[in-house]
Amino acid sequence: MIGTYLKTTGLALALGGWAGMAAADPSLDLVGPLADYKIYVAENTAQLVADAEAFTTAIKAGDLDKAKALFAPTRTSYEKIEPIAELFSDLDVSIDARADDFEKAEADEAFTGFHRLEYGLWEKGSTEGLAPFADRLMADIHTLNERINGLTFPPEVVVGGAAALMEEVAATKISGEEDRYSRTDLWDFDANFAGSQKIYDLLKPLIAKQDPEFVAKVDGNFAAVDAVLAKYKEGDGYVSYEKLTDADRNLLSSKVNTLAEDLSTLRGKLGLG
Amino acid sequence: MTGCPFITDRRRLLMGLGLGAIGTLAPAAQAREAAQPNVDDAPHGHAETAAQSVPFHGPHQAGIVTPRPANGIVAAFDVVAASLDDVETMLRLLTERAAFLTQGGAVPERDPRLPPADSGLLGPVVAPDNQTITLALGDSFFEAQPALKPLKPARLQRMVQFPNDALEADICHGDIVLQFCANLQDSNIHALRDIVKNLSEYLVLRWVYEGSVPPVPPAPDGSTPSARNFLGFRDGSANPDANDAEMMGRVVWTAAPDEPAWAHGGSYQAVRIIRNFVERWDRTPLREQERIFGRAKNSGAPLDGGPKATERDVPDYAADPDGAKTAMNSHIRLANPRTPDADKHLILRRPFNYARGAMKNGHLDQGLLFIAWQADLQQGFIAVQNLLNGEPLEEYIKPVGGGYFFAPPGVAGPEDYLGSGLIDAARRA
Ligand code: HEM
Repeated sequence: MIGTYLKTTGLALALGGWAGMAAADPSLDLVGPLADYKIYVAENTAQLVADAEAFTTAIKAGDLDKAKALFAPTRTSYEKIEPIAELFSDLDVSIDARADDFEKAEADEAFTGFHRLEYGLWEKGSTEGLAPFADRLMADIHTLNERINGLTFPPEVVVGGAAALMEEVAATKISGEEDRYSRTDLWDFDANFAGSQKIYDLLKPLIAKQDPEFVAKVDGNFAAVDAVLAKYKEGDGYVSYEKLTDADRNLLSSKVNTLAEDLSTLRGKLGLG
Repeated sequence: MTGCPFITDRRRLLMGLGLGAIGTLAPAAQAREAAQPNVDDAPHGHAETAAQSVPFHGPHQAGIVTPRPANGIVAAFDVVAASLDDVETMLRLLTERAAFLTQGGAVPERDPRLPPADSGLLGPVVAPDNQTITLALGDSFFEAQPALKPLKPARLQRMVQFPNDALEADICHGDIVLQFCANLQDSNIHALRDIVKNLSEYLVLRWVYEGSVPPVPPAPDGSTPSARNFLGFRDGSANPDANDAEMMGRVVWTAAPDEPAWAHGGSYQAVRIIRNFVERWDRTPLREQERIFGRAKNSGAPLDGGPKATERDVPDYAADPDGAKTAMNSHIRLANPRTPDADKHLILRRPFNYARGAMKNGHLDQGLLFIAWQADLQQGFIAVQNLLNGEPLEEYIKPVGGGYFFAPPGVAGPEDYLGSGLIDAARRA
């Protein structure tokens, strides 16, 4: 019975590598990927600062169309590095919380950040009254940038980040709850997948030899996600979430959950507790 | 009453320890810890019920004519499958998981640096606990695969709205449903979690309803009275006898010549999520409640019986042609007028009660997770529901979800898998 269990869950793989993994010195192997990931995060935070400058400037100048056009692309750098950004939970709340994180929803004073601006731009159709929120977002993003620059990246957070991003998509994005006013959710999907795949790609060389089946499965699922998202590309970004068909949403959902399931073993595979 | 046994127990324990009386404080405190039930003690489980198991292999799936345990969950999923091969892999995987979960056993251990193989809800050894997992396929399951479409059971269709329905899209239909039944709801939840984890590649959850049936002590004569639903009436009294194999062969197991051969031995499942307006019901006079069902609330007996009548008595409608005793529009008389013709509409009901907290209007969200099995969906559930349309009970109930499904025949043995007949037929075609 246990034999069948292992066969069906694909665990035999993970267990097969158990002895070998314990002997390896994980910290050494991870030095390279961690350094590369740090650069990736730094590039994205720099991009975030620059994009947010343009976005908030447009809001304060009262340029509604420009502000709306910059909303989704500005968010992508944040969404790519969410596992790191989320380490600063105070900032994550003020930058990226959604109305339903607050008791009084949109009317709540604590509701700030990207989605507060999104609410104003799309629901209210105006930049009026948004300047203080724009200033606050810019200040938060500067703080985030400083904190990330001073951060030593915990290896388990980086390695676990690949799965964490998939959990994020599975829990709050797939349902279309994230960008509910602008319907730009597919931009976020893409950024979350990119961020997850970046981590996975950096670590892949460390596991490819022991676990070819695992790597093939994960590669296949990332490719399947890319193929679905490609159907919805438009210009530099994506069409409205509303265009996503039920069948494609189900497909994405199954891939995201399976990626989360598989990537959740990365920490163990690399000998991190 | 509760205090005494514990005191004697403690005395006995202390005596056993050679401490004739409660002398010093320390040993007494220790002894109390061991003997007296405490606030955080787990409720006592029963080894006997935990060990009960329903065979997984057989000509029919378990969970249909097997006795209904106290708890059930219906979970509807959409299937993500690019090919017939994917469908087969999914069905094989599902079969393996169901075989393990229903028969129980030790959960495999894993390197602790990896996520554990099992949620651990039931500990390191899974008890069978009367667990059954019943697979049924929806109309969209067949429609999605060109190879399966021509093999769809002849009467399978997408559930359509009846006049009193207010269907909510979020809790309707599904490519497949899994019906979990067990003595403890924890066993069902464990099984559901296992399926969700192990089949994430193929199954996307649509909706889940949990229900239960109140355990009932046996009557003095040894018979088991029917459990009550959330309207307080005994539910199941007039069900056909599930132990009567010949009858089940007519009522429950699909065998019609115009059904695809692979479907023989399977069964149609109608799932209906029927909200009960319990506040309003509880403000309705008893006599009217009984008139609406056509049965006495306490005993469950038909209304034409005397004071000693029981729920097993059969109403005599021929002697009551104008409905003076059992109203013509009462639930049981409409559902089964007991005319010679009515026999072909028999169904096997195996429902659970559900309670899901509060609704926006400040009312309780409670109702019946109605599940009916039949050989012929059209002659069974659909015909009976059409007879019931407009019944006075409608003022107190609102069907809001569910769907129609077809449970393939059982898994013959360890080499077989759920739906193998269908897949084989699709490959031959
Ligand atoms: C919330 C909804 C419902 C409630 C509370 C309910 C309750 C009851 C009760 C108390 C009885 C009498 C005892 C018994 O024979 O089990 C009964 C009988 C029955 N019900 Fe329902 N029921 C509901 C919905 C339905 C539906 C949707 C159907 C089928 C379309 C149905 C079909 C039947 C049948 C066939 C009988 C047996 C009639 C007989 O043979 O005398 N019921 N129901």
